[in-house]
Amino acid sequence: MRKNNIRWLTGLLVIIGFLLTLSYKTAADQVPQEKEPNYFEEDQLRNTVLEEQEKNYELEEEWRSLQTQVREMEETLAQNEESSFNLVEDLEKLRMLTGEVGVAGPGIEVTLNDHTFVPEEGNPNDYIVHERHIQQVIDELLLAGAEAISVNGYRISKDTFIQCMGPVIKIDNNTSTAPFVVKAIGDSEQLETSLKLNGGVQDSLVNENIEVRIQTETQVTMQALGGESD
Amino acid sequence: MWLPVMGLLAGIIIGLLTGVQIPTAYTVYLVLLILIMVDALLGAVKASFEDKFSNSLFITGLICNLVFALGLAFLGQQLGVDLYLAPVFAFGVRLFHNIAVLRRQLLNYYKIKKEK
Repeated sequence: MRKNNIRWLTGLLVIIGFLLTLSYKTAADQVPQEKEPNYFEEDQLRNTVLEEQEKNYELEEEWRSLQTQVREMEETLAQNEESSFNLVEDLEKLRMLTGEVGVAGPGIEVTLNDHTFVPEEGNPNDYIVHERHIQQVIDELLLAGAEAISVNGYRISKDTFIQCMGPVIKIDNNTSTAPFVVKAIGDSEQLETSLKLNGGVQDSLVNENIEVRIQTETQVTMQALGGESD
Repeated sequence: MWLPVMGLLAGIIIGLLTGVQIPTAYTVYLVLLILIMVDALLGAVKASFEDKFSNSLFITGLICNLVFALGLAFLGQQLGVDLYLAPVFAFGVRLFHNIAVLRRQLLNYYKIKKEK
């Protein structure tokens, strides 16, 4: 072999050696790299399990909190039932005030009657009870704190109108005649006093020649609106 | 005669010392390079036994092989077809062929030596 060839061969072998080590190194790197993914995968799986467990735990906690919420809601529901019972009571009371149901209780009775004696020269119109007199009484009673008022058994509500129809008056289209009995439920003493004030309703009615009789009662009963009672 | 062996050792040592690493994606090229080099080595040995060794032939053959083999591998990677198998196959076949030829030549060589 010539020297020239040997030189070339040496050069080639240097390169081959270099490449062989390179390939060996790459292969050596690849082996752990192949193993690493396994570890990685294992790690990942473990992490997934942990995550799932954590999620389960969280969900369990959520479930528990939801359960407590349900229990709270049930409790509030029970309370609501109680309070709605209270509301029903309130409603009943309010209905009593508006006149949708009959009521009974201590109160006052005011009887207005036409003057029995009409002088010859007098105008009979000045001696009978007019609707404004009744209105006066009702207003005064309401001011004094009456909770329920009826006139001749007809319940007075906030919509009630009282109309003068000559000798009779109409209360919500119900004709009624003298004597007019105005009943009111409330603090009877207070109602009486307010009616009997000096220069008050009673005085002015008496001045207008109307017979007024005021009587406190321990039990006044009233029908619901639309019903009639005596 | 020991110079090529020293060269091989030197190359291994250089490779170990430099610590150059090739990404796994390029192992195909590395394998091809090794194949081409071994093929060139065997070809050169064969030619020198036959006393037909020529520098220009050796260099041009080596460079041509390198360019074509690596080019094919590159093209194969770009196209997603394992085209690098073609040079691997060709060089592999040639490698064994050269080994066979070398074996015969060596046997002849020693026969001649004995007869002398």
